[in-house]
Amino acid sequence: MKVEFTYQFEELAIDMDRLRKGLGYSEEPIPELFIDYLKKVKEDCRELTDICGAFRICEELQFADNKRSFFADGAEFKVGRTIAQKLRKADKMAFFVCTAGKTISEKASSLLKGEDPVFGYVYDIMGSAIAEAVADEVQHHIEQQMLPLGAKITNRYSPGYCHWNVSDQHKLFSLFDENPCGVSLTESALMNPVKSVSGVIGIGQDVEFQDYQCSLCAMKDCVYRSDE
Amino acid sequence: MKDELLKKLSACVEFGKTNKAALYPPQMKGEDGADEITSQLLDEGVGAQEILTGGLMPGMEKVGIKFRENKIFVPQVLMSAKAMGMSMVHLKPFFISGAAKQKGTFIIGTVQGDLHDIGKNLVAMMVEGSGYKVIDLGTDCLAEKYIAAIKENPGAAVGLSALLTTTMVNMEQITKDIKAVFPETLVTIGGAPVNDDFCLKIGADNYSADPQGVVDFLNTKIA
Ligand code: B12
Repeated sequence: MKVEFTYQFEELAIDMDRLRKGLGYSEEPIPELFIDYLKKVKEDCRELTDICGAFRICEELQFADNKRSFFADGAEFKVGRTIAQKLRKADKMAFFVCTAGKTISEKASSLLKGEDPVFGYVYDIMGSAIAEAVADEVQHHIEQQMLPLGAKITNRYSPGYCHWNVSDQHKLFSLFDENPCGVSLTESALMNPVKSVSGVIGIGQDVEFQDYQCSLCAMKDCVYRSDE
Repeated sequence: MKDELLKKLSACVEFGKTNKAALYPPQMKGEDGADEITSQLLDEGVGAQEILTGGLMPGMEKVGIKFRENKIFVPQVLMSAKAMGMSMVHLKPFFISGAAKQKGTFIIGTVQGDLHDIGKNLVAMMVEGSGYKVIDLGTDCLAEKYIAAIKENPGAAVGLSALLTTTMVNMEQITKDIKAVFPETLVTIGGAPVNDDFCLKIGADNYSADPQGVVDFLNTKIA
């Protein structure tokens, strides 16, 4: 089963805290100029029509004996020990691809290159925040869909994190018959448009959802880190 | 007068004050910016060289250090770069004519298969603000592109950027290809997944976690 939704900017719960951190003002007040930029960007984002999230639920699952990978629809996902352990009790997996779309990705990069890099950067972090917010929506949607069936969901996990190689995105994309949400993958496993995220969510009666989880990641001085 | 102006210019770069009309930073509202002060310096007969080394560079160095210490973040660095750019518009003709000299040339690009460019742009801006001529090749660069640029700029150092582990691996081949043609060319690498071990393994000359690191490296090696 494959499902694809488009979203309006207004429907998304943008994490303002993340935006503040991205701008570098997690505690101090944001200078006027940046507030104006943010307002302008938010206004522009209402016009976006290519924000999109897609997911597909696979029921044919098999976990490998090495405890580091699993098979879904015949493709092996080498997620590594940590993620495999989190997904182990799942009896279904939802694979997803979410994107803030081509428009904002291109707008950000052209401004960054040209006239107003600061404005471009505000677009850039907004694009990232949108991509994450769509993933939140998709995750929520799946959770609601599973509730009546008595099943729960895990956190979402993405190729490129925690010993799961980014190149596994090729297998993830192969589970969708055509480019999900119009997102394509380069040979080097980069999603185009840039402001996109992909990953997997485990579904089952005995799986657990954990409050996030920066501690799993090795990037100790990431600006978004939130476990200190 | 001259010293006073150079100091002011340095503060404009440090705090991102582009011109008088700019509302940013709030504490400098209404004051002259990098644009006006550079004109005033040139009118006073101060050379482009001295404006670069006595005004822009000290300002940009403070930016690099504050960024490294997490005291300022990307948008502030971009504001500083914008202020510096305003000043450079006045100075560029002197560098082109040879009346003033930059410290050396730095070629930078994001490697083949990768489209990320904010990190690379920041490095480019800070290296330029530290007195180097910078040639930005953009994203998704093949080895040939770097090699062609080195041919045109003998003695230049090269910076490679990548943001994913799948594209970071292309750094190895690119470094080998560059070194095969120009064994003496210094290759410095960076980006989120890159580290010192990887640098050593692929035979690059330097890895830096942040732009100030490349500046320090260039200052000891080619300046
Ligand atoms: C924001 C972000 C996103 C956003 C936006 C992406 C974008 N680039 O626009 C979103 C949410 C969309 C995203 C998606 C993904 N991301 Co992401 N993302 C980040 C994050 C948090 C910040 C990146 C950033 O903008 N940094 C700010 C800039 C200024 O920093 P920078 O580019 O690193 O540059 C600095 C230094 O590296 C250095 N530098 C850079 N180049 C050079 C060059 C030289 C010569 C030198 C000396 C220095 C140097 O100087 C710069 C200034 O300090 C990083 C983690 C992190 N904290 O870095 C992960 C990160 C880059 N993402 C990662 C991954 C895996 C992904 C996804 C593949 C996940 C997924 N499956 O969905 C996707 C891929 C997207 C795609 N298009 O293919 C990994 C990549 C590592 C890997 N395993 O390959 C990282 C490192 C996170 C991690 N913990 O592992 N991501």
